[in-house]
Amino acid sequence: MEVSLTAGAIGKIMSGEVTKEIDMMPVLQVTEVRQIKSQQEPVRERFRMLVSDGTQLHQGMLGADLNHLVKSGTLQAGSIVRLTKFLCNVIKDRRIVIIMQVDVITTKADIIGHPVLGGKTNDQRVADSSNKSNATGFEQQGRSEPIASCQINNTETGRSNAAISPEVGHRQGFGAGSSVPTSTPSTWAYNNTETGRSNATISSEVGQRQGFSAGSSVPASAPSTRAYNTPETGRSNAAFSPEVGQRQGFGAGSSVPASVPSTRAYNNPSAGQGVPRQDHARDPPTSYPPRQPAYQPQIPPPMYANRGPMARNEAPPRIIPINALSPYSGRWTIKARVTNKAGLRQYSNPRGEGKVFSFDLLDADGGEIRVTCFNAVADQFFDQIVVGNVYLISRGSLRPAQKNFNHLPNDYEIMLDNASTIKQCYEEDAVIPRHQFHFRIIGDIESMENNSIIDVIGIVSSISATVVIMRKNGTETQKRSLQLKDMSGRSVEVTMWGDFCNAEGQRLQNLCDSGGFPVLAVKAGRISEFNGKAVSTIGSSQLFIDPDFVEAQKLKDWFEREGKSVPCISISREFTGSGRVDVRKTISQIKDEKLGTSEKPDWITVSATIIYTKFDNFCYTACPIMNGDRPCSKKVTSNGDGTWTCEKCDKSVDECDYRYILQLQIQDHTDLTWVTAFQEAGEDIMGMSAKELYHVKYVSEEEEKFESIIRNVAFTKYIFKLKVKEETFSDEQRVKATVVKVDKVNYSSDTRTILDAMDKLRNIDATSLPIKPEGSNYSAEAVNTSIRSSGTRDPSSVDRRDFGLHAHQSGQYGNQYSSGSGAHGGGATSCNVCGNSGHVSANCPSANEPQGQYMGNSYRGTSGSYGGGGPPRQHVGSY
Amino acid sequence: RRIRVYLPAETHRKLSPASLNSFSGLMDASSPAVFVNGALLRRFIGQKVRAVIQVMRSDIGSVIGKSTDDQQIVVKGSPQLPLTTYLEVIGIAETDNTIRAEVWTNFGDSFDAQNYNELCKLANGEFRHMFI
Repeated sequence: MEVSLTAGAIGKIMSGEVTKEIDMMPVLQVTEVRQIKSQQEPVRERFRMLVSDGTQLHQGMLGADLNHLVKSGTLQAGSIVRLTKFLCNVIKDRRIVIIMQVDVITTKADIIGHPVLGGKTNDQRVADSSNKSNATGFEQQGRSEPIASCQINNTETGRSNAAISPEVGHRQGFGAGSSVPTSTPSTWAYNNTETGRSNATISSEVGQRQGFSAGSSVPASAPSTRAYNTPETGRSNAAFSPEVGQRQGFGAGSSVPASVPSTRAYNNPSAGQGVPRQDHARDPPTSYPPRQPAYQPQIPPPMYANRGPMARNEAPPRIIPINALSPYSGRWTIKARVTNKAGLRQYSNPRGEGKVFSFDLLDADGGEIRVTCFNAVADQFFDQIVVGNVYLISRGSLRPAQKNFNHLPNDYEIMLDNASTIKQCYEEDAVIPRHQFHFRIIGDIESMENNSIIDVIGIVSSISATVVIMRKNGTETQKRSLQLKDMSGRSVEVTMWGDFCNAEGQRLQNLCDSGGFPVLAVKAGRISEFNGKAVSTIGSSQLFIDPDFVEAQKLKDWFEREGKSVPCISISREFTGSGRVDVRKTISQIKDEKLGTSEKPDWITVSATIIYTKFDNFCYTACPIMNGDRPCSKKVTSNGDGTWTCEKCDKSVDECDYRYILQLQIQDHTDLTWVTAFQEAGEDIMGMSAKELYHVKYVSEEEEKFESIIRNVAFTKYIFKLKVKEETFSDEQRVKATVVKVDKVNYSSDTRTILDAMDKLRNIDATSLPIKPEGSNYSAEAVNTSIRSSGTRDPSSVDRRDFGLHAHQSGQYGNQYSSGSGAHGGGATSCNVCGNSGHVSANCPSANEPQGQYMGNSYRGTSGSYGGGGPPRQHVGSY
Repeated sequence: RRIRVYLPAETHRKLSPASLNSFSGLMDASSPAVFVNGALLRRFIGQKVRAVIQVMRSDIGSVIGKSTDDQQIVVKGSPQLPLTTYLEVIGIAETDNTIRAEVWTNFGDSFDAQNYNELCKLANGEFRHMFI
C-alpha cells in the first residue's frame, strides 16, 4: 500500500489556506489516537488524534459519528486516511481540525517520516519556555489522563505540543493531562489543560491552558508557565490561552478552554463542575504567545494552583462564527443580527402543550442559524428580541436543523434554555449585514425542484388584486399574484398568501398603479409546480420592496435600459398580465376533450343560447350574515316559526336571503349541455334578483308574469364562462359545469376573434379547410393546440364534432394535421411532453390541462363573482 | 328553398334568408344577394347584391355612401325612412359603384365595418360555396 500523504497539507491547514474539504481532501496519517471521555452529561466518548502529512503534525478531533472506526480498530495510530469532510476553524490563532468524514485508506502502517508538531512560532515557544529546554519536554505529555476530567486535554495537547518543539514531534498532546510529571515546560505544553498540570509551563508557549482540572497541580516547573497555569488549575484559566480565552476552570481540571471560537469543545463552562468537559479538538494553537492574561482578572499565586476553588470562567466570551457552531462546541458565544422573528406560537402535541418562538440570526461571516425557545424560555426572550438588532447569545444547545421548517443554510439550529444568555449589542455593527440572500435567477427556477426554497429578486411587471381562496379544510385565505421579471428575460408568477397580500401586496399594488415598476426581493419563497413554475410565499418568507441592495439597483438599471421592452417569457405559463383571455370551446368539446376530468377544473368560454330553464327550484334560502365582505350564503333551514338557522354561522336570522341556483340547458351549434348558474350569473340572466323572482312566483303568485319572464329568458344568447369539473355523486362521476360569468355577446369582438382564428388556421396549413375553427385568440399555439389536440387525441370523434366534417373527412382531417405538424416541425416549437410540434409542454394536450389551468388563473384573478359562486355551490351539494 | 346559413361573422341584426322574403314585392326571392364591398361590386354587375354602407350624403333619389372598404358607392332610390349612420341596401348592381336599391335597412349608428368587410371577402372567396 503505497500511499503517499499530501505533503504540506498540515502546513496549509495551519496557515489557513485549507479550511474545509472543498479546499482540499488531504491524505494524512494518524499518528495517535486518544480517547477523551466527557464527564458531563451525556457521557460521550470522543477521540482526538494527531494527524500528520509526513512532516508536520496537527491536532484533530474525530467527529462522534466516526467513533466506531476507532473502536473497531479500523482507525488507529498509523492509519492513513483521507479527510473527506472536515472543518478547520481558527480561534484566536488556534486551529482546530474537526474531522467529520474520512476514508480509511490503510489501517496499519508505519509512521511515515518524522512529523513534528508544527506550531506557530516556535520561537515563541522557545522564547517562552525558557525552561523548555527539552523540546522533548513533551514527554510529559503526560498524557496521563489525569483526572478523568482532564480529558480535555484540550487541545491543548495539541497546543502545547505545538509549542514545544516542533521537532519534538511527539505531541502527545492528547494526553490528558495526565500528570505531567516534571514539568518540563515543554511538556507541559500539552497538558495545559490537563490537569492542571504545569501545562502552564508549557503553556507558555502554548498559552492555553485551561484551567486544568483538578487542580492537578501543575507541578512546579517553569514558573513561567505556571503563570499560565495557575489560573488554570482549577480556575478558569481564562488566563491563558489567550487564544482560548476561556478556560473555564475545569472542575476537575478539565480545562476547557471555554469559548474557543472554534466551537469545539471548549465550552466547557465547566464552571466548577468537576466534570471536565471534553475538549474537543483543540487545535494546536498556532501561536502561543505567552500572553499574560491581560484580561484575566487574577492569577492566583502559584500556591493555589490547582488547588483553589473552582470558579466559573467569567471571561469575556469569545465570539465564534455561526458557521463554526456544532453540537460539539463547548461554551460558545455568537454575535449576530436578528433577521427574522416568528411569532409566539402555542402548540399541543402528544407530550403536552407549550409555546414556542423562533428567530433567525445572521452574523458577520454570513453564517445563518435559527434559534428556538420553548415555554418559559420563550416568554423570557420573546420581548427582548427585536428584528434588526444585534445580540450576543451564548449557552444554547445545538441540535440538527429541521429542514422541513428551517430553510437556512445551516445543519444545526440553536435551542435556548434557562442557562442561555442574550445580551444586546448596542454599538452599531455594520459588519453584520441586515439580511443575507442567495438570489437565484428566474431562468434557473425552471430547472429547480418543486418545494425547494429560494430567494429571488426581480421587477414587478404586473400585480393582480387579492382574492379569497377557500382551502380544502374549509378555511379561507387570501391570495395575490404578481409577475416578477429579471435580467434573464424570464418572468415568473409570485403568489402571496395570507397577510402578505394586504401588507406588501397592497403597497406593491399602489406602486404599480401609479405607473411604477418596483423591485421586489423574496426571501424563502417556495417553488411550486402549477402550469409551469411559480414561487409562493410561506410562513417564514420575507418580502422586501425596493430594497437597498446592489442587485436591486442593477435590476432597476437594466429595466430602464432594456427590461421594459424586452418581452419576458413566463415560466409560469401565465398570461403576462395583459388581461384575461378566453379559451373558446364548443359545447361538444366538453365531452370530447373530457374537460373537467383531470384533477383541476377546466375553465372555458362558450358562446351559446339558453334553450331551457328549470324553474322548479330556481333559488334557495341563504344565510345573509356577512362573513368579511361576503355574505355567508350557506343554505339556512327553516325553524318553522319564520326564522332561519344557519349551520355555519351558528345563528338564527329572521329574514333569509334568496340566492339563485338555476339549472339551464344551453346549446351551441355543436351540442347542448346543462349548466348551473348561481347568484350573480343568475341575476344577469334573469334580469332581476332572486328575491324578486321568488316573490313573483310564490308570494304574489303572479303566474302570468312569471311565465313571461321565463319566456324571455329562453333563446337568449350569451357568452358563458364555465367552470367544468367532474364530481362524484353517489358512486357516479358526472361532469358538472358552473356558470361563472355571463356576458352579452359582443358580436364585433367575437367576429374579430374568429377572424383571427381563421387566419391562424390558414397559416398553419396551406390547404384551406372548410371548417370553422374554434380556436381561441390566445395565440397561434393555442389554436394549434386545440385543433391538434382534437386531431391527436381523438380524431374520429373530435373532428367530426368540432369541425362539422363528415365522418370520412375527419380521418382526413386528422391526417392533414399530422402531416401538417410534420411539415411544421421545423418552424414550430415542439413539445417536450408528447413530442408533437406546435405547442410547448405547458400547452400540451396530452397534459390535458393547460388551457384549463390557464383560464383558471385568469378566473381566480377575478374577485367577487367567482367567490360568490363558490360557497353556495358547496352547499348545494348538501341538500 | 331555404339555406340555413351559419355566418362566421354575424352582424348585430339576425339575418336569415327568410328576411329577404318579407320584401317580396320588390325582388326575386329565389336568388340570394351577394355580400359585396366596393371592390367586389364590379364582379356582380347586373346581379343582386347587398352591401352595408356608411351614409355620407343624402340627395333626392340617391344616397351617397362609403363602402366598408372605403369606396364611394351611390345608391339609387329613395329610402322611406330616416337613415341612420349605417345602412344596408339590397339591390341590383348597376355599375362598379352604383346599386339600384330595392330594400333599405337601417343598421344603426355603430357597426363594425371591418368585420363586414372580412365577411364580404370570405363569402366571395374561400367560403363562397357556403353562400351562393
